[in-house]
Amino acid sequence: MPMFPSIDFKRAALGAAVLIAALLPHVASATLGQPEITVQSDAAQTHAAIKSSEDRTAYRVHEIQLPSGTLMREFVAPNGNVFAVAWQGPTRPDLRQALGQYFDAFASAPRGKFSDRRHVQIQQGDLVVQSGGHMRALTGRAYLVSAIPSGVNIGDLH
Amino acid sequence: MVSMRALKMGLCAALCLSAIACGGGGGSSSNNGPPPPPPPPPPTNNTASVIVDAGPSNASVNTLFTSVTICVPGSTTSCQTIDHIQVDTGSYGLRILAPVLTSALTTLPIEKLANGNSLAECTQFVDGFSWGPIVTADFQIAGETAKSVPVQIIGDPRLTNIPSECSGTGGTEEDTVSSFGANGILGIGPFELDCGDCDTATHGLYFACATSCTDTMVPANQQVPNPVTHFAADNNGAIVMLPSVAAGGASNVTGSLIFGIDTQTDNASGTETVLTVDDNAQLIVDFNTQTLAMSFIDSGSNGIYFADTNISLCAAPPNDPTSQIVNFYCPASTLTLPITIQGVNGTMTNNLTFGVGNTETMLNSNFDAYPQLAGTLPAGNAGSFDYGLPFFFGKRVAVAVQGAMTTAGTGPYIAF
Repeated sequence: MPMFPSIDFKRAALGAAVLIAALLPHVASATLGQPEITVQSDAAQTHAAIKSSEDRTAYRVHEIQLPSGTLMREFVAPNGNVFAVAWQGPTRPDLRQALGQYFDAFASAPRGKFSDRRHVQIQQGDLVVQSGGHMRALTGRAYLVSAIPSGVNIGDLH
Repeated sequence: MVSMRALKMGLCAALCLSAIACGGGGGSSSNNGPPPPPPPPPPTNNTASVIVDAGPSNASVNTLFTSVTICVPGSTTSCQTIDHIQVDTGSYGLRILAPVLTSALTTLPIEKLANGNSLAECTQFVDGFSWGPIVTADFQIAGETAKSVPVQIIGDPRLTNIPSECSGTGGTEEDTVSSFGANGILGIGPFELDCGDCDTATHGLYFACATSCTDTMVPANQQVPNPVTHFAADNNGAIVMLPSVAAGGASNVTGSLIFGIDTQTDNASGTETVLTVDDNAQLIVDFNTQTLAMSFIDSGSNGIYFADTNISLCAAPPNDPTSQIVNFYCPASTLTLPITIQGVNGTMTNNLTFGVGNTETMLNSNFDAYPQLAGTLPAGNAGSFDYGLPFFFGKRVAVAVQGAMTTAGTGPYIAF
């Protein structure tokens, strides 16, 4: 049962994405809840490049190497929308862009009792943000609960 | 403040004088004999006291604090001692919250880049960011001094325009004492600098500020260092020594922060287990049949964080349905679990266990120190075991800086 319209479509889309990445080194990451990869006209902020794209059962993953050294992954549902982003590296990616309309929910989430500087596990409405690590080595992910395609193991989103 | 160098020079002068006196004495050895050797210079006091208490926000748990003194560079009078500076082996550098500074310390000189721009930093912690300029200050703790060391002043009113690249990294802005939970932080992790390669790459950490601030590279000597590495001696690492804490918790737990490893009698290495860490200060933890290669030991984590779906999580109280306590463990009775920690040098711990207590019970007991506070790591952080301050209770833990050569090994390592 194809999750995406067709294998050819997937190859074409993947090829297009890689082509775009090759032709235009300034590729910005897409936004949670929005359609996948968009080429940003204003490239000043994120000089990122798509490192690889992979189709997995029920979703597609774009791996994006940010110039900061941080590796970012975008998880795209069959409907073409980004339902999760994950990161690992010395610094966080531009989460204002990656989280879009959900950014403020992360920024203003209340701190719980027993909180510290090393852990975030919040759920604000549809948004879940989970992060850990320490200085020079941060990991994390954000996803929309309602947008996760059926059959996806949340543990694989990293 | 007498420096080690001055003491050494004084000792040399005393020895030379006595040599001349001896040489001129001829054969008259019948009376008093040679004068007694001069006393050795007193060792630098390398030990600061530390405490685990509720902190300035009166809400901290398992948070280790000390006091530091900072001075206007070159001054011995324009100084201020600041308490409740968090001792953090999981970060690098001294950072002070601007509101706690008074008089001359409010105008510590901001570092300038070659183009004349002011240097500022967006420090990223997992839960948010702290913004402020990099100044130079003389730093003192116990009897140790670091001259003109780069220090971040968080929330400095002289530089308040946070660039969107900084706030866009998300999380809580932690630029006040209450949001930061401490008057500052002393990062004494096993590397020298808080960035690593910011002299050749930009990471959204350092910013050059004129009318606005832009992401910048910074020469290494202007980056914020683990200030221990700038001491004249005792500069190859630090040792955290804390007493055991009752399983149910305790308040006002005090201990020692000792500077240097194998530089004085009180910081000599013995037969400790030396675990070398990787470039990200990480170790390998074997737990529950899992090999977790992104693990770390960290005084700046307030609990023991790991994933184990066999242990019950706490339930949110009815009056607080969004309580974060659901991310902590609540076993019916205390668990004692085996763990093996392995350094990248291959050294492994023997017979190490840790306790997992009931977090709900802790929440109701109002202590500051809980050796069995444990919580989950989300599945997105698979591959990690974060062994926080509970690791340090009842231990003497040495954190050796990269390149340190001690009798126990070569840094970066953690030994206990």
